[in-house]
Amino acid sequence: MIITTILNIVIGGLIMGGIYAIISMGLSIQYGVARILNVSHGEIIMFGALLTWALQSSGVHPMLALLIGCPAAFIVGFVLHRTIYKRLKDISPTQGAFEGNAMLVSFGIMYVLANIAMMIWGNQQKGYSFMAYAVNFAGTSIPVNRLFVLVIALIVSVLFYLFLTRSRLGKSIRAASQDATAAMMMGVKINRVAAICFGIGAVLAAIAGALISMIYQVNTTIGLGYTVIAIIVVVLGGMGSVPGSMLGGFILGFIGSAVSYKDPSLSMVAYYLIIMVLLLVKPKGLLGR
Amino acid sequence: MTMLEVSNINCFYGNVQVLWDVSLKVEQAEIVALLGANGAGKTTLLNTITGLMRPKSGHVRFMGESLDNIPSHAILERGIAYLPEGGRLFPEMTIRENLEMGAYPMSLWKHRKENMERVFELFPKLKERQKQLACTLSGGEKQMLAMARGLMSNPKCCLFDELSYGLAPIVVTEVFNIVKSLREQGITVLLVEQNVHQTMEIADRAYVLENGRIVLDGQCCDLVNDDYIKKAYLGL
Ligand SMILES: Nc1ncnc2c1ncn2[C@@H]1O[C@H](COP(=O)(O)OP(=O)(O)OP(=O)(O)O)[C@@H](O)[C@H]1O
Ligand SMILES: [Mg+2]
Repeated sequence: MIITTILNIVIGGLIMGGIYAIISMGLSIQYGVARILNVSHGEIIMFGALLTWALQSSGVHPMLALLIGCPAAFIVGFVLHRTIYKRLKDISPTQGAFEGNAMLVSFGIMYVLANIAMMIWGNQQKGYSFMAYAVNFAGTSIPVNRLFVLVIALIVSVLFYLFLTRSRLGKSIRAASQDATAAMMMGVKINRVAAICFGIGAVLAAIAGALISMIYQVNTTIGLGYTVIAIIVVVLGGMGSVPGSMLGGFILGFIGSAVSYKDPSLSMVAYYLIIMVLLLVKPKGLLGR
Repeated sequence: MTMLEVSNINCFYGNVQVLWDVSLKVEQAEIVALLGANGAGKTTLLNTITGLMRPKSGHVRFMGESLDNIPSHAILERGIAYLPEGGRLFPEMTIRENLEMGAYPMSLWKHRKENMERVFELFPKLKERQKQLACTLSGGEKQMLAMARGLMSNPKCCLFDELSYGLAPIVVTEVFNIVKSLREQGITVLLVEQNVHQTMEIADRAYVLENGRIVLDGQCCDLVNDDYIKKAYLGL
């Protein structure tokens, strides 16, 4: 009995953690390189989820929907940076002014995206059944769709980590987030890399959204909650540290899973408590510098 | 051959002018020192040469070609390496990754393995510790890594901004010996320094910048005997 409970919490923690990690890594590289705290991140997640649902209901397999969604999300993120944020950066007198203005703009984009979604889809819950069968493991029955989501989340996290540590572009992203001016001195085209990071962040958000739609009911108001979680994870892991985001995502996922087991409505309270305690004890986050 | 030629540069931060009609020349395989007190405008001049900043008027030429409209990454590809003040390593990257970043532009990236081997010959210590994070290195090792990273682009000309800053005298000697060995390989060096004594020993010529103006220039062997230099910079 106790084993079953623990197993449930662990699997739930891994799944939530995997999704949180993906979302937060996206937010983290957007902040790390482009210096924009992108509050509209959750709306991309919401669009990812609802577009997957919409495509699924017209007969497209959710994984195929994901393949269509990723390039689309990249273009949205890239173009948003190129058109709005880059211009904002050019006209801002100081870095501080830019960061403040950029966050305000991202609030605006958040409302625009939320309202567009509301016009298209209204506010009812949407869901579909996907791999709706279970396997038995150590006396617990585990829905296959959740395992599937877990595997995809882990694959995406590992691929993203390899991209950052092994590829030339990934190295330039890490360099730019550690010292943007020095990266420019090395010949990194900083505005281009920032736009790419914005695009990649949106892709990660869209993937997370698609995964969420495979296991939960979704609606057009889920965005903000995920933005808040992503911000908590990024602060928990250390601003701009991608490994920190990954670690923080799983920690929060496990805590969420454990608390939800008692009472799902308490998980957000638990997250806020953790972040408050952490900010007092270790203000730079777990892996922050 | 003249490698680097700066002519009549005027530079501003907003409305504040910090460089006034600055001109200088560096010949091939010369070590030229650029001396001056804090805030004289030395770093600003290097930023202007490397295209990170543009002058309001005046020109920069490298090997006879104008750099006025060349983006900074392309200036790097043409053969000017810039070692910024304080080294500015990427702290959370390994020695190896920092070196790779020194060869970031596509045309250099292809040759990064050969260049790394060449750089390791000059800095064998770095080779042993390739996987170590830059933030865990000592001050002297950091400066060595910063130099090595600059050399990863296989430059024809190196701009060094305060190489000796914060280093123990013995390490300064070590670093300056490497600068001398660059000259032997035909590499041109423009050396910004506050450590006037030791700089005068290795440099061929020097310029003195004061409040954004070149006030003095000449052969180092003449300058060390110059009364003004003795008083203002050598404390004699
Ligand atoms: N980003 C900036 N904005 C405004 N003023 C600046 C900026 N950077 C430098 N300055 C000013 O320009 C002048 C020259 O600065 P610069 O950094 O080129 O001097 P420096 O000779 O390199 O000094 P140091 O030896 O201290 O490094 C200084 O008065 C400085 O205050
Ligand atoms: Mg300086």
